[in-house]
Amino acid sequence: MNDADLLQRIAQTLKEEIAPAVDAEYPKTQAFMAAVVLQKLGRQLALAPAHAIAAVADIEALVAELRVMAPDAPPAIRDAVEDLARRRDAAALCRLIEALYAVREPLGRRFEELLARVRRTLGTDIERRLEFAE
Amino acid sequence: MNADATTLQPRILAYLASRFPNATDHALHDVQRIAVGWSHETWLFDLSYRERGVTQTLGLCLRRDPGNALLRHLSDLEQQFRVLQCLARTALPAPKPYWFEDDPEILGAPFLVMEKVRGVCPSPWGREGRAFYGAAAARGRLPASFTETLATLHTLDWRAAGLDFLGVPVSGAAFVRREIAKWRELIAVSEHAPEPILTDLVCWLETNVPQSNRVTLVHGAYRTGNLLIDDDRISAVLDWELQVLGDPMYDVAYVLSDLNREGTPLLSNLVEREAFFHDYEARSGFVIDEAACRYYDALYAMRSVAFWMSASGLYASGRSSDLRLARTAWSVPVVLARAARDLNYWVDRAKL
Repeated sequence: MNDADLLQRIAQTLKEEIAPAVDAEYPKTQAFMAAVVLQKLGRQLALAPAHAIAAVADIEALVAELRVMAPDAPPAIRDAVEDLARRRDAAALCRLIEALYAVREPLGRRFEELLARVRRTLGTDIERRLEFAE
Repeated sequence: MNADATTLQPRILAYLASRFPNATDHALHDVQRIAVGWSHETWLFDLSYRERGVTQTLGLCLRRDPGNALLRHLSDLEQQFRVLQCLARTALPAPKPYWFEDDPEILGAPFLVMEKVRGVCPSPWGREGRAFYGAAAARGRLPASFTETLATLHTLDWRAAGLDFLGVPVSGAAFVRREIAKWRELIAVSEHAPEPILTDLVCWLETNVPQSNRVTLVHGAYRTGNLLIDDDRISAVLDWELQVLGDPMYDVAYVLSDLNREGTPLLSNLVEREAFFHDYEARSGFVIDEAACRYYDALYAMRSVAFWMSASGLYASGRSSDLRLARTAWSVPVVLARAARDLNYWVDRAKL
């Protein structure tokens, strides 16, 4: 049994055996809530390896497309794209989004195009997270 | 840590006895801690005492600051007390405030005591609550009271009531920017990992601030579950924790939001949309600005994310042991997905 399965098993025990046996309202609710938390954590753990691989691939694709889409973009945008290429993390994505909004007016229609491309990556990522969050 | 009724009760009684020094035989009855809100502990009870040979009974509600709760640094009891004092001079149904004490020696933390208003407050999130509001919706009187009370809130003379201490915005844009700054601050102190969709949402909000010169008292969380109901009427507006002076459409957007109804087209699980528009506009004199409401709905998404980041952060940092707060870590992506939908992330695809 792997860690994720073990957490699911504990969640099931909490939900079906422990929580129903608790009389007082507050600890009973807490026991049920512990089951919910462990269930979500278990699902998140189980999906984590596949999600991590997909996330890196998505960011690499995003960087590659942005380099093509914005070769002559303001330096702040190009720097943010290269920073994302190096770091491949959420903080770098946040900085790229802030950089885009900061030059929104000079970019004109290209702002919408670039932001839409970033949003495509973010949309895919949040859909993955909903697999364990909902 | 939850307050222990057996240790707190004698201290409450001693305090209340000091407020009625000429009375004797002080006693508390029907003491119960109610599970409403996540920001302050709420206790309900009746105080009885003898004065001039006559036994008197006073229904009371005590709210105590546990010092580690959600919105702790944004919502203080002293301000709630002052707001209730101001509202007592208006037509809005709200609990009458009695005392506020910030001396932690008395009950271990600051607290306020107010009137226990007659009524019930079913949670709209559970099956029983939804059934309650569904039945009330069919009768029609409570939905009308819901809308009328909101109109009363938005048309009361906040200056005459002394509510300008809440901070009068110089413009509608100033009000919005202040709200954004407030939720930014809560997000920052939660020390949550960066969320690019949230960054996008905040940048979008800052870029698209609506212009409005409407300034009224705004409750900030006007919905079923925060309203006390007696005999199919709103007997008190509760939860004065998020109130501001600003655009009344901020409250209207909350009423219209699908955040506050589950599996029903009824606004706040209670009111038909068309009836709400008609009655609110007729009673308040404001025309509902749907574009502004859509904007504020996005602002509520930011606020929700801030709440859940703060709540899960309280658990993660060990400042709370309430597992309901731990659970909210998974509410963050759910609300972010909703925000992404509102920002048209999937404009060419079926919505989430």
